[in-house]
Amino acid sequence: MGTSRNVERRTILKAAGASAAALGLAATTGCGGDSGTSADGTVTIRYSWWGADERAKKINQTIKLFEKKYPKIKVKTDFQDYVSFWEKFQTQAAGGNPPDVFQNAVTFLRKYDKRSVLLDLKPQIDAGTLSLDNFRAGVTKVGEVDGKQLGVPVGSNTMALVIDKKVFQKAGVEPATGWTWDDYFKALKTIHDKTKVPGDTGYFSIMYLYDLYLRQNGKAFYTKDGLGFDKADLTEWWQDGYSRVKAGIITDPKTVEQDRPKSSLSAGHGASEFTWDNFTVRYTAEGSSEYGLAPIPTMDGKHTGQYLASLMLSASARTSHPKEVAQFINFMVHDPEVGKIMGYDRGILASTQQYDAFKPTDPVNKEIAQYEADTARAGVLGTITPHPSGADTIEAAFLRIGGDLAQGKTKPSAAVKQFFDESQAAFQA
Amino acid sequence: MTLVKESPPVTRKARSGAPAVKRRGRRENLAGYLFMSPWIAGFLLLTAGPMVASLYFAFTDYNLFNTPKWVGLDNFTKMFDDPRWQKSVEVTAKYVIIGTPLKLLLALGVALLLAQSRRGQAFYRAAFYAPSLIGASVSVAFVWRSLFSDHAIVDRTMSVFGFHVGGWVGNPDWILYCLVALTVWQFGAPMVIFLAGLKQVPKELYEAAELDGAGAFRKFWSITLPMISPVLFFNVLLETIHSFQIFGSAYVVSNTYCGPADATLVYTCYLYQQGFKNAQMGFASAMAWMLLLAVALVTAVLFWSQKKWVHYENATEDAR
Repeated sequence: MGTSRNVERRTILKAAGASAAALGLAATTGCGGDSGTSADGTVTIRYSWWGADERAKKINQTIKLFEKKYPKIKVKTDFQDYVSFWEKFQTQAAGGNPPDVFQNAVTFLRKYDKRSVLLDLKPQIDAGTLSLDNFRAGVTKVGEVDGKQLGVPVGSNTMALVIDKKVFQKAGVEPATGWTWDDYFKALKTIHDKTKVPGDTGYFSIMYLYDLYLRQNGKAFYTKDGLGFDKADLTEWWQDGYSRVKAGIITDPKTVEQDRPKSSLSAGHGASEFTWDNFTVRYTAEGSSEYGLAPIPTMDGKHTGQYLASLMLSASARTSHPKEVAQFINFMVHDPEVGKIMGYDRGILASTQQYDAFKPTDPVNKEIAQYEADTARAGVLGTITPHPSGADTIEAAFLRIGGDLAQGKTKPSAAVKQFFDESQAAFQA
Repeated sequence: MTLVKESPPVTRKARSGAPAVKRRGRRENLAGYLFMSPWIAGFLLLTAGPMVASLYFAFTDYNLFNTPKWVGLDNFTKMFDDPRWQKSVEVTAKYVIIGTPLKLLLALGVALLLAQSRRGQAFYRAAFYAPSLIGASVSVAFVWRSLFSDHAIVDRTMSVFGFHVGGWVGNPDWILYCLVALTVWQFGAPMVIFLAGLKQVPKELYEAAELDGAGAFRKFWSITLPMISPVLFFNVLLETIHSFQIFGSAYVVSNTYCGPADATLVYTCYLYQQGFKNAQMGFASAMAWMLLLAVALVTAVLFWSQKKWVHYENATEDAR
């Protein structure tokens, strides 16, 4: 302490000044919300999405095109994987600071509409800034909730059965349009008997697949504000699933757990997986086999319960630049060059300008196009209703509890009760 | 202690009058507080403020978007009916009860070995301490995940000895031990503290005991253990509290799901899921305060128990 006696007023002032400056700095940058208008009239908007690096590279290219055409608008970007994205988004939105424009999906529309986070794009459409013309039939419906346009689709996708072609060939199994669940489970057994590879990676804990199964039986996973099935339905579904795990035709859940974040299909520990049709792009990059698309099994030989879902662009209700955001969305969904760059990364391009501009040349993208064309031609596509608020939590719970069950750590009846309890809490949250 | 004697206030007082010193002292204090102000502000804004807020939220229904609605003790009563909360308590308790003693035993054992003078002592100490420096990092948790997978080194080694468990990471019965192993491996920090304690034990006591014919075990039990009991107490306290707060390794080793089958659903992980995934911020806040209470209770019990087994003799004075 002996040296401190020469503290002078100047030093004190300096210290005070430095602290004040540090705090002031913290106050301005702390919230990270630096979208705004600068002196020369340049507007900055923030755009975030979920996806892998590959998607980010493509999106960054499209943003360069946008900034060239609209030199007065700058775009700041941010991306994470699906789960982290929504965690971060929820926190940002709660803090009143969501990105101005972001990727969205049908599961989140009601949730964030209820919390007044989403901008109704109708006024921008009426003003002519954003156009809903020239979209493939019906896709813009996906973004509509209670008469509001809360999202504009960039691409459409549908649930499919993604298969490891090499394993299916080796086992001599050929999926056919209209095959039944019995056919499918027999096929899994054949595959396992002949190749030792389990036929499927765990169909029974995928919310979107159970939805299709329920639709085939005249129900659906969700009603407007609750679950569209009862405990007996789910008990049966999970009971069957568990016995198939025990029979060895479904991948051991311990393996599934270890393969994460990879899928057990692309890790070579399962021969098929129910997921979105655009996932073949990812699995082809991730795995060492060839991956293709097969029809969803049915009850009656015809109805698959499938519908066109979609990734969308939505805007924040709190954005101070609704017009610029609308211009951005309009450019991203209609510009043919953007379509060429993005390809089917986010599903089959939604607007006709982009759909016509991109002609897939590689087998993977070609097969996705073919699959959706076939599905549409078969006339099996139903309409999707926006999921009730809480659906995101329920999707995660369905996956988790289904996994617990597969591990044999809980009985089907207990698992079903747990799921219904958690769903109740999620709807109320 | 010597520093105090050398410091200049005495001479200063002699040179200038008392009021001047007072003024200067006050000014020095002011300067001190100003220099500290960023940290004081940080503490108030980033620690104390949120704590008070979370205490309030603990009694409300709050989903991050609504205005918090007062629900009294609902969140706390809900906890005891929630099977996943019970599971998280069970997992955390298991982790603390198994991991902490193992870690401390290993730390004490290695410290006893390293306390003896031998060649390369500094190297061994550094080598055993190293895991404590890197052990808490996310990358090590990733390494751990691959070490304990199917056909990885742990699985193979165990198979050689006839134990066919497979990967621990995907197995709900084993994955917790994977986390226990990770924390035990970081025994270096308590080991260093034990070493310091062992160095304080006066040699004369051992010499006297040897004259009386005491064996190695007797010396350890009757001299070493009582003499280092304050250090042991400190380590037990620190490691127990630390264990209760496990989050990072569970989160990463389970690949963010704290599974499989909730086998690594440690308390803070469930708190995180409820707060930030399910947006049940009221419930999560209540959980946080419950954890604080539990840790406080355990700490109180430890402090109470030290009367029975911790000896605060002034060793150096006795030796002199």
